[in-house]
Amino acid sequence: MLNGIPLYWFLLISAALFCIGLYGVLARKNAIAILMGVELMLNAVNINLLAFWRYVAPSSPAGLAFAAFIFVIAAAEAAIGLALMISVYRNTRSVDPDKLDSMKL
Amino acid sequence: MTISQILFIVIALVVLGGGVMVVTARNLFHAALFLIVSFFGVTGLYVLLDAGFFAAAQFLVYIGAISILVIFAVMLTRGVQQAQPANSQWPAALITSVIVFVIMAIMLGPIAVTIGDRQFGNLSWPNIVEGQTVPAVPDDSLVRLGQSFVDFNQYGAAFLLTAVLILVAMVGAIWVARDRTLKDVMEERAELAAEEAQEAMLAGPAQPALPVGAAQVAEPTAEPAVRH
Repeated sequence: MLNGIPLYWFLLISAALFCIGLYGVLARKNAIAILMGVELMLNAVNINLLAFWRYVAPSSPAGLAFAAFIFVIAAAEAAIGLALMISVYRNTRSVDPDKLDSMKL
Repeated sequence: MTISQILFIVIALVVLGGGVMVVTARNLFHAALFLIVSFFGVTGLYVLLDAGFFAAAQFLVYIGAISILVIFAVMLTRGVQQAQPANSQWPAALITSVIVFVIMAIMLGPIAVTIGDRQFGNLSWPNIVEGQTVPAVPDDSLVRLGQSFVDFNQYGAAFLLTAVLILVAMVGAIWVARDRTLKDVMEERAELAAEEAQEAMLAGPAQPALPVGAAQVAEPTAEPAVRH
């Protein structure tokens, strides 16, 4: 399957996806969009882990194991984050993180 | 150019195009749909990497579960669509992201870049263009993965901890998103206090055998007193 694809291509697309997610986290005005950016970043990390597993150490389960842990963490993060957003929306009728400053001094 | 390379470029365009649309789409629901497109492209990358199990897991966990969760959240927070999707610091965010990308591309890349007296890049990652071959994936790689999860000399403890983590996350998510606001809790407490006051009144020596209807008459007077 990897006929002629250098590892650097995978690293490049992973870095690009990570930076797109970073932009989403930093620039979006809606907390759910920020969570979407975090999901993109986690996906980029997973591409990186699996690419290194495939090219450098395919006989070791380490790369696969770390990728599986990232899956679990991403699922937990999505569930908790979205539950928080729904709760915040119920109480304030807004999911704009700039407006959620009631704990600011 | 081999078929794999063409396939990779197409998948890369799907992944990155979907990602860009996720962070720029004005309509949040469209952003969620483009998130699915991007996840789908990542599934294709896993297939290219001979990680079939993870392609299936990506399909089920990300496309099947997380995107649906995101869409649910988008729909439950309807009416907060802003005219302007980005906040005021978006130019700074864009510059930061581009700088981070350029740094990563240089640090990981095959081109040598000299800054001051230090050299970056020029890394020779395994590259199979010029007749080099990447090692083959052993047939029992998934068996080894499963064994490493139950072997306490490898990832057994971490596996158990992730099980606890996802349990805590699930219970926590249900608790955080439960259908009671702070106002509901306060009202519930006020009602309880009112009921207790009534019971104390009923149990008093003045009215030994008050009919049940009298308690309901007393209720409206108790309610406004605690609500203000």
